[in-house]
Amino acid sequence: MSGLLLQGIINGLIMGVIYGLIGAGLNIVFGVLRVVNFAHGEFVILGAYFAWFLLQALGIQPFLAMPLTFAVFFGVSYLLYFVLIPPLAKADDPEISSLLLMFGVSISMGALMLLVFDADARSLSFEMEPVFLTFGPVVVPTVRLVALAAALMIVAGLAYFLYRTHTGKALRAIIMNRDAVRIVGIKVEQLSAIAFGLGIGLAGVTGILTALVFPSFSPFVGADYTLIGFVVIVLGGLGHPIGAMLGAILFAVTEQVASIYFNPSIATICGFVLMVATIFVRPTGLLGRQALR
Amino acid sequence: MQSADHAAAVEASRRQDEGGERLRARMAAAFFAAVIAALALVPVLTGNTSFAFYLMLWITMASALNIVVGFTGYLPFGYVVFYGVGAYAAGICYKVLGWPIPLALVASGVAGICLALLLAPTLRLKGVYFGIVSLALATIMRLIIANLPSDITGGSMGLILSSSNNPFASYYAMLLVMAATLLSVLWLAQSALGKALKAIRDDDGAAACIGIDVPRTRLVAWLLAALFPALAGGVEAWHTNIIDPEYAFHVLITAKSIVYAMAGGFGTIIGPVVGAAVLLGIDHVIWQKFPLINLLLLGLVIIALMLFLPRGIVGTVLKRRPQLRRFIA
Repeated sequence: MSGLLLQGIINGLIMGVIYGLIGAGLNIVFGVLRVVNFAHGEFVILGAYFAWFLLQALGIQPFLAMPLTFAVFFGVSYLLYFVLIPPLAKADDPEISSLLLMFGVSISMGALMLLVFDADARSLSFEMEPVFLTFGPVVVPTVRLVALAAALMIVAGLAYFLYRTHTGKALRAIIMNRDAVRIVGIKVEQLSAIAFGLGIGLAGVTGILTALVFPSFSPFVGADYTLIGFVVIVLGGLGHPIGAMLGAILFAVTEQVASIYFNPSIATICGFVLMVATIFVRPTGLLGRQALR
Repeated sequence: MQSADHAAAVEASRRQDEGGERLRARMAAAFFAAVIAALALVPVLTGNTSFAFYLMLWITMASALNIVVGFTGYLPFGYVVFYGVGAYAAGICYKVLGWPIPLALVASGVAGICLALLLAPTLRLKGVYFGIVSLALATIMRLIIANLPSDITGGSMGLILSSSNNPFASYYAMLLVMAATLLSVLWLAQSALGKALKAIRDDDGAAACIGIDVPRTRLVAWLLAALFPALAGGVEAWHTNIIDPEYAFHVLITAKSIVYAMAGGFGTIIGPVVGAAVLLGIDHVIWQKFPLINLLLLGLVIIALMLFLPRGIVGTVLKRRPQLRRFIA
């Protein structure tokens, strides 16, 4: 009984950190660019396919593929930024327009992945010895544990970048006040491209982690990840990079613990009800501030 | 003396404004009448009503969404919930309770209104928060319906309304729903209520200061925007005879409503109609010619639209040719 509960909490923590990374990527893009990246989930899935391709074709192990994936995704989306985002400034409501633009990107990417990789669910055939680790009543697959460690390292790296480096501080400054940042002479345009690259690079790496933790992936599950990403950042506080992590862990632990006692769809309801209730009590999320809006 | 001149000038410009408004409303009314008349003739002239039926459905969905987005500035990502609940209300009333179809359709409208009242507290939220909470609530609703006993909702198999088949009558029912939606938008654009809504959208604090009852006014728009998709869901269920739990609450329905309305231009009266017609037409052609890459092309069309016509078709035309503002609202 308490062993099951403990198992649920552990699973929740592992998924929470991964959901948190999805949310963090979304949050950086939204906070800095005010772009609602509806295609984030598709980039996550694309990351999983990229790792699958690297493993199948070149024999590169998933954990080694992470830095490579990040570099490729960062580079491509850094360039993509200049094609997609600047024209949005002409719209009456850039936030809603960005949502629709990225919705178009999301549909196209889903369709492209379907054409290239077919509709079958794939999985990364990657295992570690021993397959399971047992801690008293709790059994955790080794891959999940290593994925958790990798995710935590990414979170640490991200936090270091955002809070200790010049570029990261400038990005947070843009989130806080875009206009003031221009006045002090920070190049908003170039930093926005970096933020776009960073957000999508994170999505790609997170995709590898999801492929390690969840049994399979297919071209059209991207929207599910996007939804989870939005739920956790709204829960944690929009535009607050670390708030997403807190929201995600809360959401995932609730969902996983509830799934012990009820069927999976009731567990999902519990997760969403938690989010809706939180928003009614704290309309800006757990760590959000009014000034961010 | 001077003040009298001034008063006369103000009076004249007010009269000109009113005249312009009346002209725009008349143009929009004529356009809507033409659309309704053309669609009414389709089943008489051709045997193939499928495209016209879905055109009416999407015009209804996009125009009703325009009431809440264009007039109030709220973007409900979970808009599909009204459509799905309307479909299920009609299906359950017909299949389980044995009501006649017209009564079942009334029930779907009532269900939509009740759900909108239930969700009304979310109007306190703003921007992306409102959108995401709306999406989460729609997901919750879908899961609740999926978890109801299957002798009511049919479980994951959905409901099949086999004996109700009447494509002709259901076609005209959809026409009626669409006409009602368009009339409501037309009425709203001219009424004091519509102006109050736009004032609230632009600055709710200022609107409250000049004596507009902000929550009540918003609620009326919200209820209207919920009623029509619920009716459309009910009629569509009747037309196809099938209610599929996955499809009835699919995100793509919300997304298409938003995209079609946006393509035409939110906040314009005729925009959602134009947007739905153009994009649905493109979608239809793509489906016939390139079924394999249909979704890919649809996605690319949306991207191109947002990059090159960020205000939507009607909005961009109005921006490029401001003199047309006299005629098009």
